[in-house]
Amino acid sequence: MSRQAHGLRAWVLQRFSAVYLLLFLVYLGVHFSRVPVADFTQWHAWFAAPLVNLATGLFILSLLIHAWVGIRDVIMDYVTHTGVRVALFAAVMLTLAGCGLWSLRVLFLTVLSGSGA
Amino acid sequence: MRFSIYRFDPDKDSQPYMQDYVLDEAKIWPGMMLLDALLELKAQDETLSFRRSCQEGVCGSDGMNINGRNGLACITPLASLKTPIELRPMPAQPVIRDLIVDLTQFYTQYRAAKPYLINEDPEPEVERLQSPAEREQLDGLYECILCACCSTSCPSFWWNPDKFLGPAALLQSWRFLADSRDQATDLRLDELEGPFKLFRCHTIMNCVEVCPKGLNPTRAIGRIKDLMLKRSM
Repeated sequence: MSRQAHGLRAWVLQRFSAVYLLLFLVYLGVHFSRVPVADFTQWHAWFAAPLVNLATGLFILSLLIHAWVGIRDVIMDYVTHTGVRVALFAAVMLTLAGCGLWSLRVLFLTVLSGSGA
Repeated sequence: MRFSIYRFDPDKDSQPYMQDYVLDEAKIWPGMMLLDALLELKAQDETLSFRRSCQEGVCGSDGMNINGRNGLACITPLASLKTPIELRPMPAQPVIRDLIVDLTQFYTQYRAAKPYLINEDPEPEVERLQSPAEREQLDGLYECILCACCSTSCPSFWWNPDKFLGPAALLQSWRFLADSRDQATDLRLDELEGPFKLFRCHTIMNCVEVCPKGLNPTRAIGRIKDLMLKRSM
């Protein structure tokens, strides 16, 4: 990773992901206030729509990036011991990657079952 | 009027402590500044130590933590303060004695910002001229008196004073980046790259709140980030 990846790029990613998170959350709020979901089947069907599925995938990606930059900042600020810092970075990275893969699996299965139904 | 002042003499004290002082109301005049009161207290107790010089907010020597907020004693009206007035050295700096702190780290970061014009062109016979509009870009930047009130109230500077330049130095960075006569934009921006020197600023704006000259380092830092982004595109 270049030096730039740590400074400017992280800052830009944090800002862009924040914008997407905001837009998607507003969209969710507006959508569900206009079209309330009655049960799991409706909920499932809505998420199985490819566009919603893709948008949710992007949302999760943005969330992970945003969380990574934020937590990384906190660790950089407060943890000065290099070993502890690296260990914390690794733990956070693994946790976020795990969350990401798990979400990907859920989204993927939703699309599959949606197209199969 | 009551005061509670941080005392520490490394030759005598193992621990810093707070000492109470009382200033006779008869010695207080309308419009009296905190520094005037400190000078009166020093007349009472000559071991009380603090820095001061110009006494009118120009030299930046008497920066201190006044009731929890950094400021210059010489331009802080006594009447504006809640009593007992609690005076401490500026936070997170090594204390030399009482209210006097060691600002070596602060000046090291200032130096790292290369606070001087870099221009490789042969020196002209007259000054390097600027249009009034170009000169205007420097307003709100050149007025910094290096009192360190901003940097020492910045948590990012507290945690990483050796890596993060701090608001005062970054204000100077932008002062020269914004200067039409300076030719070292790329060099300056390259040196600010990385996660620490510039990007430890999380825009909490403590610096803006305490600056005794009313300057805005946060805005300057934002401009540097914008310029860096523009350059990378």
